Amino acid sequence: MEKIKYDKPSISKINAGMPSKFGLPVKQKVISEIDGIKVSSLIEEFGSPLFVISEKTIREVYADAKRAFENRYPKVQFAWSYKTNYLDAVCSIFHDEGSWAEVVSGFEFEKALSNGVNGSQILFNGPDKSKDDLIMAIKNNACIHIDHFDELYLLIETSRELQMKARVAIRVNLDAGIYPIWDRFGFNYENGDAWNAINRIMLAESLELIGLHTHIGTYIMVQSAYAMAATKLANLYMAIHRKFDYWLKYIDLGGGFASKNTLKGAYMPGNETCPSFDDYAEAISNALISSEIPHENLPVLFLETGRALIDDAGYLLTTVIANKRLNSGRRSMVIDAGVNLLFTSFWYNLGVYPTRELGNAEESTIYGPLCMNIDVIRDAIVFPQVKTGEQLVIERVGAYNITQSMQFITYRPNVVLIDSDGKTQIIRKKESLETFKQSELNPKRK
Amino acid sequence: MKITEEVRISDNGFVFNSRTGDSFNVNPTGLELTKLIAQGHDFDTIKSLFLEKYELDDLTFEKDFYEFIALIKHHQITSQEDPLDFK
Repeated sequence: MEKIKYDKPSISKINAGMPSKFGLPVKQKVISEIDGIKVSSLIEEFGSPLFVISEKTIREVYADAKRAFENRYPKVQFAWSYKTNYLDAVCSIFHDEGSWAEVVSGFEFEKALSNGVNGSQILFNGPDKSKDDLIMAIKNNACIHIDHFDELYLLIETSRELQMKARVAIRVNLDAGIYPIWDRFGFNYENGDAWNAINRIMLAESLELIGLHTHIGTYIMVQSAYAMAATKLANLYMAIHRKFDYWLKYIDLGGGFASKNTLKGAYMPGNETCPSFDDYAEAISNALISSEIPHENLPVLFLETGRALIDDAGYLLTTVIANKRLNSGRRSMVIDAGVNLLFTSFWYNLGVYPTRELGNAEESTIYGPLCMNIDVIRDAIVFPQVKTGEQLVIERVGAYNITQSMQFITYRPNVVLIDSDGKTQIIRKKESLETFKQSELNPKRK
Repeated sequence: MKITEEVRISDNGFVFNSRTGDSFNVNPTGLELTKLIAQGHDFDTIKSLFLEKYELDDLTFEKDFYEFIALIKHHQITSQEDPLDFK
């Protein structure tokens, strides 16, 4: 007798009167390939877990952002936010598209130089710039964004010693009508600190003030906040002109544009609620163009957006290690990628998808493989029944996960780029025991 | 282990527990398992019936069986009189 195809026995509770907050159940999304390459082939060739970066997506998203701003404002320059993803291959794509570099440490500065970025096209942010960092920045003619008075005086001292002029901007923190107000970086606008810093810089012979910078926060979901920030910087820009008869070169609105990921606790998915590049561009451009600044003296608008440019291009491929039924009756599964690789899982409900159509969806918890209780990739996700060895795809992980990933109990995985021609290449090798032996020293004992 | 007295199981996979007021859907294999348990069959009998009927190996069945048992126990569809049942 021919045997019948087996389906795993399942039971699901009927919750009458408790409709899904999104209405009728939606069709389960499946990601079986990335840029035309099968997920199974990628895992077979490069192992699991595996970070995959799509060059095509990077270029498409960048083009969208550029179009949105350049259609609305005459002088726009993007600077790639290194901290968001500083793999050389990724940075090189952004530089190839015309991005300058925005760095926040000496290490990132060196990385930008090694990627062939001209020093004068590096924006140097961050609260921690050592004297050596400042010397490197001055010698390379970078735009140094001063964060605090101690740095300002160190910079005056350093540039005097070098007998070179440093090109500087100040970082301004301000109330843009959103909470929380990021007031720990830079000089405050409202209490006059920023104006005092500007006056001190204008008196310093070894400093040349060329711009104003602000970074109002991260994952900003209200574009009007940028309009308010742009208006305040425009006011400072004009005040400097009135007092010193001097036009600055640029206004830098920083980063912080939201990606399409969904924040934990959000009622609606991020791709439906976050402003588009057009929304941000409209708010910022309007504020600058309708400010007091004469059209012929409009500053270059710098943008340091990172997250919104790279998140969509990153995927993490992973494999199911085990299925478990928790004491509460909830289904759970263990996958081979943990929170040490997915820093953003602490604040996003990351999208996790199967690579083929599967049935029996029920609310599940997805754990990583770390021997730690905090290793939860998704605490509640309606997910189909999967077997051990099933391959899954976690999308929108291009921002911050690679730069902030931690090595813990196992080796960090390969990172593969699918280039514009659809070819795959490793852009960061999987760690090995040798990786650690190279940097560890074990003192000999008698 | 036996199906709780207050539980009613229809042939189309609808399960109602009048003790808790909960209702459930079981898929066809789940329904078959539930009915075999209700009929008082033990694990070995149910296993051989399943292995004979379905494209299935014994370890997969064992894994799925015990997961299903845990789940229906959690939903109070079964009650266990003898703690050594299914030992």
